Amino acid sequence: MRRRVVGAVSGIAGAMFLAGCATNAPQDTWQPKGPNAQIIDDLQKPVFAVAGIIGVIVTVAVLVAVFKFRDKGQPIPHQSHGNPALEITLTIIPALILTVVGVFTFRTVFDLAKTSDTEMIINVTGQQWWWEYDYPVQSEYGITQPIITSGQLVIPAGTKVLLRQTSRDVIHSYWIPALNGKRDAVPGRVHLNRIEADKPGIYAGQCTEFCGLSHANMRMEAVALSKADFAKWVANQLKPYTPPAENTLAKEGETVFMNQCVRCHQVNGMKRADGTPVIAAPDENIVSGAAPNLSHLMSRNTFAGATFDLLNKSCREDVWTADSESFGAKYLSGVSEDCLNQKDLRGWLRNAPAMKPMYANPALLTSTGGKYRGMPNLGLTEADIEKLVAYLLTLK
Amino acid sequence: MFSTGSKYFFGITFLGAIAFAIYMLLIGESAIGGTALFGLVGATGLLTGLVLFTRDGSQGEEGIAASTAAPTSSIWPLIAAVGATLLLVGTITSSVVTLLGVVLLLAALVEWSVLSWSERASSDSSYNASLRKRLLNPIEFPVLAAVGLGVVILSFSRITLAVNKSVGAIAFIVLGSLVLAAGVLFSVRPNLRRGLVTGICVLGAVGIVAAGIASAGAGVREELVLAKEEGHYMHQECGAEKSEHFDKLPLEGVSATSSVDTHIDLIDGKLVASVQGIAGNQETITVPRSNPTNIVFRNKSEGEYRLVASLGSKMLTDGVKEDVVQCTQLIPQGSEQLLTLNIPKPAEAGKPFTLTVPGLAGQSIEVIVP
Repeated sequence: MRRRVVGAVSGIAGAMFLAGCATNAPQDTWQPKGPNAQIIDDLQKPVFAVAGIIGVIVTVAVLVAVFKFRDKGQPIPHQSHGNPALEITLTIIPALILTVVGVFTFRTVFDLAKTSDTEMIINVTGQQWWWEYDYPVQSEYGITQPIITSGQLVIPAGTKVLLRQTSRDVIHSYWIPALNGKRDAVPGRVHLNRIEADKPGIYAGQCTEFCGLSHANMRMEAVALSKADFAKWVANQLKPYTPPAENTLAKEGETVFMNQCVRCHQVNGMKRADGTPVIAAPDENIVSGAAPNLSHLMSRNTFAGATFDLLNKSCREDVWTADSESFGAKYLSGVSEDCLNQKDLRGWLRNAPAMKPMYANPALLTSTGGKYRGMPNLGLTEADIEKLVAYLLTLK
Repeated sequence: MFSTGSKYFFGITFLGAIAFAIYMLLIGESAIGGTALFGLVGATGLLTGLVLFTRDGSQGEEGIAASTAAPTSSIWPLIAAVGATLLLVGTITSSVVTLLGVVLLLAALVEWSVLSWSERASSDSSYNASLRKRLLNPIEFPVLAAVGLGVVILSFSRITLAVNKSVGAIAFIVLGSLVLAAGVLFSVRPNLRRGLVTGICVLGAVGIVAAGIASAGAGVREELVLAKEEGHYMHQECGAEKSEHFDKLPLEGVSATSSVDTHIDLIDGKLVASVQGIAGNQETITVPRSNPTNIVFRNKSEGEYRLVASLGSKMLTDGVKEDVVQCTQLIPQGSEQLLTLNIPKPAEAGKPFTLTVPGLAGQSIEVIVP
């Protein structure tokens, strides 16, 4: 029995130890992909080494003391009280170690807080359970009108990007380990977080402040593009809205969208039949007062707070594993009908709360004044879902 | 199993519980009656437990402690009773009363338990007393010092709120100087009589507390009352000012002013915006929709000005629209005011949201809501 327990514990410990060697872990804190994460890595590796050595020394000393001096019936040894030389030494050595670590830590903290060399600004707003990104006008990047998107943060590689983070409801925390450390997003406050990616690619992240039922599903992805590809992405985001052609399934989907979805979701440039602009009113329906802006939805690879992929498995693999040179073109090709993850998108439209835990049961909404947290089940028919999928595919 | 005394209390508890259940089922709307009955059940239940535990106070030989002396008189049972009463009263009046009751109960619980334990530690009462002191004095002294200091600070704050601003500053300087002088005196004359030192300290503290009580009775000075009535701290109205009193610095909203997103400065008749994290002056600011955003307006020009946020219009009823406008207080040069914008929707095409200063043509900051 004892041998089995020891075997099981050793097996679990071994598996956990070996799991640390995984090379394809997208949220590995030991694989920096940008200068800010590199600064942290340069600090944490030596500190980890020092802490590890001290940990081993202390553990060995304790084990030696426990086994060598265990009670074997020997007389109690001479008891002494106080040894100034030893006590001073044992105080000074840790103090010196902590001082050295502290100096480098402070330097790192100040280096990471630097914003004077910012090259690009993006406002990041967290809410239960997704991230909104809005790009203020920055003509040097071709952003002549504000761009608003969600789920995937698109940045130019090799550019110092300053994220101005806040939250609409509860405290969240923005963390893309490959690009920088975590930074809280607090309601009513703006916190600054600088990121920069060395090369084009997708970098995964996760909200790291418990924020409610679907905290574990509140993911984010930073997509770094070459400067030329980023310019193409900006140009696409600024393209005016093109309504679907008349007498198509997509056109019928647009009508369903106007009847159901625009209560919360904005599509920039969409107009009613009488020419009046369609303005969503998430403030009237959702606790946070916002829902993802779905303009150019199919230029993203994810939906529902980056919880689900818009690309099916093979197309997703194709993008994620692309090398730096070909990545931009693959990402910018967006989501075609062949690549669309129909199963998850249809499932989401059919019954969103069944796919992602949300406080979406109206019977349990008394504390929110009847407003939703997350997307409710709209009770759409299969025919409506068919039309909506066709329409959403036009939002390139 | 049940001792004679416990049967009596158990009976009351049982009947009280039934009465409580019936009351909640039939009349359940009133919190007062339910709380009273629940309090009765709790109190008699506690007594039942105590009586059962002590077997009606009869002790076997094994129960005789090291000391058989009668317990000394103590104020803690009385404080515990007051605490329990406040706890119950607080459930139907105010959470502050409940909190006070909890604090008193906890204090009484600790003090009474340690006192009771120490009195039975040995047959030497002086040793027992020293045992109690050794255990509790490290807690009692800092707590009492903190409470005493808190009372003095609270009293002094009442004084400064009641008197004129300048008088308050002078009082602060005078009091600080007196404390410093007393400290210097005590340190250079360590042989001063203990009674004299205590007398000076007590006299000073009592004086401040008395003045504080008198000030609290007189109320805060008029300008603060007026400023609060008009909501100048975060002024949102755009009509004529009701009074000239306002907070020159937006100190009231400490939380808000510690997280200012944008400063709008009026410098020599020109309006400029500086946004946190963005270098240089901006001609537009971006505000996320449905999210409170704090803006501080600083008047650095001669004359009185206010900042006006024109945020489109909202539908009141079918076909009837009302302009949405927010304003700061009219403030003189060198003053600043806080404005919190919470905009639910983006602007309609061709009708941008703006920040302007009435009386200054051509000065406008556009507010973009994506």
